[in-house]
Amino acid sequence: MIVQTALLIGVVIFSVLAIVLKDLLKSAIALAVASLLLGIIFFRMNAPYAGVFEISVVAGLITVLFVLTIALTKTDEEVRESRLVNWVFPLVFIAFIVIDALVMKGLLGKVPALASGAESGTFGEVLWRSRTYDLVGQIAVILAGVFSVLALFRKREKND
Amino acid sequence: MTNTWYLYVFFAAALVGAGLLGLLAKKNLIKLFIAIEVIGKGVSLMLLGTGFAKASILTAQALVITYIVIEVSLVATALALIINIYRHTRSLDVRRLAKLKG
Repeated sequence: MIVQTALLIGVVIFSVLAIVLKDLLKSAIALAVASLLLGIIFFRMNAPYAGVFEISVVAGLITVLFVLTIALTKTDEEVRESRLVNWVFPLVFIAFIVIDALVMKGLLGKVPALASGAESGTFGEVLWRSRTYDLVGQIAVILAGVFSVLALFRKREKND
Repeated sequence: MTNTWYLYVFFAAALVGAGLLGLLAKKNLIKLFIAIEVIGKGVSLMLLGTGFAKASILTAQALVITYIVIEVSLVATALALIINIYRHTRSLDVRRLAKLKG
């Protein structure tokens, strides 16, 4: 429990660092570390498939895509952020955490346990048998993503 | 619900809150997208935490994997859009987009 809480605190800290840090490359790496810690949490929650996907896809592939984009959009001109934001963001976030903790403390024990039937079978059976149709939709989403990337990077014709 | 569930909900809400604050405060397009990613992390933590508390971790896992796969195509499309915007405006400032009229 203590290890799990420490990992969760690490996820929040690295996610906040990813938003707050000025250097884009550093914030992409902070996001990758947060994903890595989240993947370890998933492993500890007995969800190995979700952990593997989180570490390999989110911490690996998405970080590579971010770094590639940062390299392709290297600019001398920095985007000017207002200085007020640097002070306001941590303060508002701490206030949010305090309110969050108070609300959770107030709710403790008040949310009734949801009815749940015992799950049977393996992960593969649950994934392929009980969720067949939305997997087809998922394939459609991936294809739509591929086509949109191809459309965005297509070569311009001479008439354009 | 068990006490562990409240812990997961607390941290998931913290992640979603941090992402929303980042979306409100930042002006860099890539930073805005990193904030959206942080919100997504909160949502997947919430899904798996609830599955863990309800002892239906397999369904929650299947949902999280679906979410991660869709997240990848979302990231690829959005980053391609960001590169195209950069080619047009030579800047990553989201305020410049308001000037793209006509």
